Amino acid sequence: MDDLERAIMLIYESAGGAADSAVVSQAIEFCDRLKAGHPPSLLRFCLDRLLSSPLVPVQFWCLQSLYDAIRLSYSSLCADDDILPLLRGSLLSLFSTSPLPCSSPAFLKNKLAQVLAALIRFEYPSPWPSPFLHLLSHLPSGGSAAVDMFSRFLIALDDNLISQDYHVSPDDVAAAARVKDAMRLQCVPQIAHTWFDIVSLYRSSDPSLAAATLDTMSRYITWIDIGLVANDAFLPLLFDLILSPATPEPLLAASAGCVLAVVSKRMDPQLKLNLLGSLRLSRVLSDSELVQKLPALVIGYASEALDCYKKLGSQNNEGSSSAMDLLEEALPSVFYVMQTCQELDSCDVVQFLSDYISTMKIPSQKQMVYIGQMLEVIQAQICYDPSYRFNLDVRDKIGKEQEDQMAEHRRDLLVLFRSVCRVAPGVTQLFIHNLIANALSSSDMNMEEVEAALTLFHRLGETVSEEGMKTGSGLLKEMVPMLLSAKFSCHSHRSVALVYLEAVTRYLKFVQENGQYLPNALAAFLDERGMHHPNLNVSRRASYLFMRAVKLLKLKLVPFVKTILQSLEDSLVQYTISDWTSKDLKGSGFEDGSHAFEAIGLLIGVDEIPAEKQSEYLAALLTPLCQQVETLLIDAKAHSLEESSPNVMSSQQIIVALNALSKGFSERTLTTTRPAIGLMFKQTLDVLLQILIAFPRIKPLRNKVTSYLHRMVEILGTMVLPYLPIALNQLLEDSEPKDMVDFLVLINQVICKFGASLENTLEELFPTIASRLFLILSSEAFPSGQGGNTEEIRELQELHRISFAFIHVMVTHDLSSVFLAPNSRGYLDAIMQLLLLTSCAHKDVLVRKICVQTLVKLIKDWCSKDNDEDKVPGFRCFIIQNFAYGCCLKSVLDKSFEFRDANTLVLFGEIVLAQKVMYEKLGDDFISYFIHNSLQTAHCPQDSAEQYYHHLQGNDNKSFKSFYQSLIENLRQQENGSLVFR
Amino acid sequence: MALPNQQTVEYPSFKLVLVGDGGTGKTTFVKRHLTGEFEKKYEPTIGVEVHPLDFHTNCGRIRFYCWDTAGQEKFGGLRDGYYIHGQCAIIMFDVTARLTYKNVPTWHRDLCRVCENIPVVLCGNKVDVKNRQVKAKMVTFHRKKNLQYYEISAKSNYNFEKPFLYLARKLAGDPNLHFVESPALAPPEVQIDLAQQQLHEQELAAAAAQPLPDDDDESLD
Repeated sequence: MDDLERAIMLIYESAGGAADSAVVSQAIEFCDRLKAGHPPSLLRFCLDRLLSSPLVPVQFWCLQSLYDAIRLSYSSLCADDDILPLLRGSLLSLFSTSPLPCSSPAFLKNKLAQVLAALIRFEYPSPWPSPFLHLLSHLPSGGSAAVDMFSRFLIALDDNLISQDYHVSPDDVAAAARVKDAMRLQCVPQIAHTWFDIVSLYRSSDPSLAAATLDTMSRYITWIDIGLVANDAFLPLLFDLILSPATPEPLLAASAGCVLAVVSKRMDPQLKLNLLGSLRLSRVLSDSELVQKLPALVIGYASEALDCYKKLGSQNNEGSSSAMDLLEEALPSVFYVMQTCQELDSCDVVQFLSDYISTMKIPSQKQMVYIGQMLEVIQAQICYDPSYRFNLDVRDKIGKEQEDQMAEHRRDLLVLFRSVCRVAPGVTQLFIHNLIANALSSSDMNMEEVEAALTLFHRLGETVSEEGMKTGSGLLKEMVPMLLSAKFSCHSHRSVALVYLEAVTRYLKFVQENGQYLPNALAAFLDERGMHHPNLNVSRRASYLFMRAVKLLKLKLVPFVKTILQSLEDSLVQYTISDWTSKDLKGSGFEDGSHAFEAIGLLIGVDEIPAEKQSEYLAALLTPLCQQVETLLIDAKAHSLEESSPNVMSSQQIIVALNALSKGFSERTLTTTRPAIGLMFKQTLDVLLQILIAFPRIKPLRNKVTSYLHRMVEILGTMVLPYLPIALNQLLEDSEPKDMVDFLVLINQVICKFGASLENTLEELFPTIASRLFLILSSEAFPSGQGGNTEEIRELQELHRISFAFIHVMVTHDLSSVFLAPNSRGYLDAIMQLLLLTSCAHKDVLVRKICVQTLVKLIKDWCSKDNDEDKVPGFRCFIIQNFAYGCCLKSVLDKSFEFRDANTLVLFGEIVLAQKVMYEKLGDDFISYFIHNSLQTAHCPQDSAEQYYHHLQGNDNKSFKSFYQSLIENLRQQENGSLVFR
Repeated sequence: MALPNQQTVEYPSFKLVLVGDGGTGKTTFVKRHLTGEFEKKYEPTIGVEVHPLDFHTNCGRIRFYCWDTAGQEKFGGLRDGYYIHGQCAIIMFDVTARLTYKNVPTWHRDLCRVCENIPVVLCGNKVDVKNRQVKAKMVTFHRKKNLQYYEISAKSNYNFEKPFLYLARKLAGDPNLHFVESPALAPPEVQIDLAQQQLHEQELAAAAAQPLPDDDDESLD
């Protein structure tokens, strides 16, 4: 081995990681240095080694280097008189007279083909007109090795130059056009002849070679003269290959690929129609075995016929009807393909059928038959495989995977189904009616078919109009009652039960209008088909869907409240005493059964239930839940608690249940019409806050209590106020950025709700909040760049944003006095500096806007025209010297302040408004400093400054804004100018 | 396909080539499987690194020698020379960077030149990031070339096993093959927003029902 061979083998084999990385780097460097050398010498060197080295990675490297040299240094190759002729000659001989041996690895041959294609990109037809003619002169006589190389070369040429499937530059497009044009003039007919000769010669002796040739040809059919292939010689050859039983699979596929390329060629519809007719594809379509092997051809042909039909449509009746004849000839095969082919890209078939459906307005008798067939095919296609019945029932890993796959498989089919529903609702209804009726009357129908039928019934509902749903149009008025009272023999199967409930939910609007079916609908949710289904997954889903049903029907359900409560009692108890650490219940997430509580809340929260009944029902629910929490608390105090302990899990569930329950009650009910009910919820806070006090550090509990507090703030009104100090103080304990965000969201909600009445509470809390925020926000740097996208940084940025929102909310709710309270005063300076800095330079324009608004409100709060009455000494001066200049002028002058950005323009509006407010509140102090100092610093001419003053005094804010914008733009230009002359 | 320097194993093993633009998360992805920590810092791969990844199937253990290639040209080493003898492949792009998807056809072509007829999975990585640029419905390349497509998030382990399972099934010729135990993964860095992801998946499936656009560029620009 010489140095190059050693280096390349070392790099290749070092991939295992065993070699010394320094040595590998050296080897890489050695190779890179070689490659960077004088291109002509590198080329000679590589041509030599390619032939002399026995090592495949080295040969590959030589070809790669040749390719790079041609691609990247072609111009320096031109400077050497001898090298290009040498390169051309050497490459051509490798394709014709002395090709790589058949046994060479394919990747070497492909790489070689890529090198020749690269050279042709630069040199054909001028200065090198002969490569194609040279290659063709050796075919097919040059033997199978030369034929193989020729195909690989044409594929490389397509891949690297002609095909537009890649991310190509305009240069590439121009080069491709040049090469194609020259080929058309010079050699395309000869190439087509050669293809014919090769296929005829090798179809029996070397079918894979013939197949490779046809695969190549199919790529070229799109841009060569169609007559070169669709003629009396080639078509018979192709169909002979397709129809002959002796043709091996790959050659059959390649022949069909060529016919498909012919069929798909873009051309005038009438010409296309003639072409399609001349193919006599019925020869293929009548052979079911062939159809099954060539689904793409069948569908491509049918799609093209449909396309002709659509294009010829109105202006050419004769044409469109013969297109329809071709299409209808192909349709049975399309259905057959759909039913039998496993490995089919069903998108194409379904797309074709959807297109076909879209051409129907009122389906003819014949088309109705096709629609019936489509429905059958759809139903058959969406059935699960019975061998997974058990997996689907227990929903193990395999079951889940089957569900995912089926969901994917079904989606396009269901889109087609929807089109069918629209075109032929009656036929579809009848089809589904019969499926369901059969399933109910006989026990023969297996679970998979029932599941599929119910899925279609469910989806049918998506296409029924509001009116049709209410009245039960067509057969629906029979079908929905049948569904509501249906109990299938396989109803215990999870998949059947789930889709059954979805279907029932879909048709609830019908029940709403036809009250006589309410008991049936309720039973479907409440009995063993729903919330009492033995499968937990089903009963949970049922509780969610029941909640949705209650939302829709609650007023109609008042008479049934007692029955419902009785029937759910056991489920509710079950929910809170479950062992939430057990594997079954872990990770059940969103559908944890708590929706049953929400449903009941919605049900008993309506005003139509008398007050005493309401409090009786509610007490029966709240009291045991609160007692459970108390017991858990006592128990937990004895042991130390961890996040994963059962007590924590149960407590969380109880809080979630209480929260869900409360969703049925409005603020009006709890505070105005029925305060006694409000009192009951208020008492729950006594209990839940105990949790917070006892275990402030257990994050999941804390989150749940926080959500509950949000809820109570919303519905309890001022009743919640006494609880806030203690709750908020507890939430501030040991809080990380994320907790802090949660806390601020809560307190913002509280402030928005209660405003200035919160002053005392906030005065007490503010110092703690401020110190916590400054601690977190200042200690953490904000790195930027590549690594700057981590979750921690996102959390910090979020906290940053929400902190300003907090200050903004305080100020806009007349709580700015809190900043001035003795305990908070110490933070005032830092807060003002932060607001100033952020209003000038924060990268999020919306945050800047909030800061400007905050400062403007503070000016209004703290300053008055008469200097002596200022509430905060020094504030006036700070605003005039720092804010007015820094934010209102300097930051706006910066070119990064983009007037074309909508958000920035909003910020600009606030900044203009700020100046008006300063003028009103700070009067001459502001004017004289701004004009004589700030504007002067920005080199504002005297007359502009006077105009500014004039506009500021005026009442027209809009004209002031546009004046100020043009002033800024002028000043920016001037700034540029002065830089140029400096 | 073990290397001379690498321990060989008695159970079936396959060379898996991992390609895609630089910064799409190839290294991060393979490192999820190992005991090694998820790398927060970005360090471009030099040339290639090979990671042996073992999976337990119902038919026994299998190993993928995962060749994590450099996505960035200047760190090329042998470049497509590393693909030689590859038996399966994953092409990765970054759903938050359009250009990385635009380059997928080129990666696929370069791969197929060296490895004819191998099973290939296309992976859209970083689906945990909220503002993605390549929406599920724009991803159509796999349908033209009969590849399998998965949306993944190396950071949250979302769908980590899916590409390997698909390749294992293809290589074993057994569509029912399944993994019997989960490989030890580094703990997720972020929780993927499942609701959001489900929305994307629905979009993806809805997109699957759409016709292929004539030109991908139109939908991307």
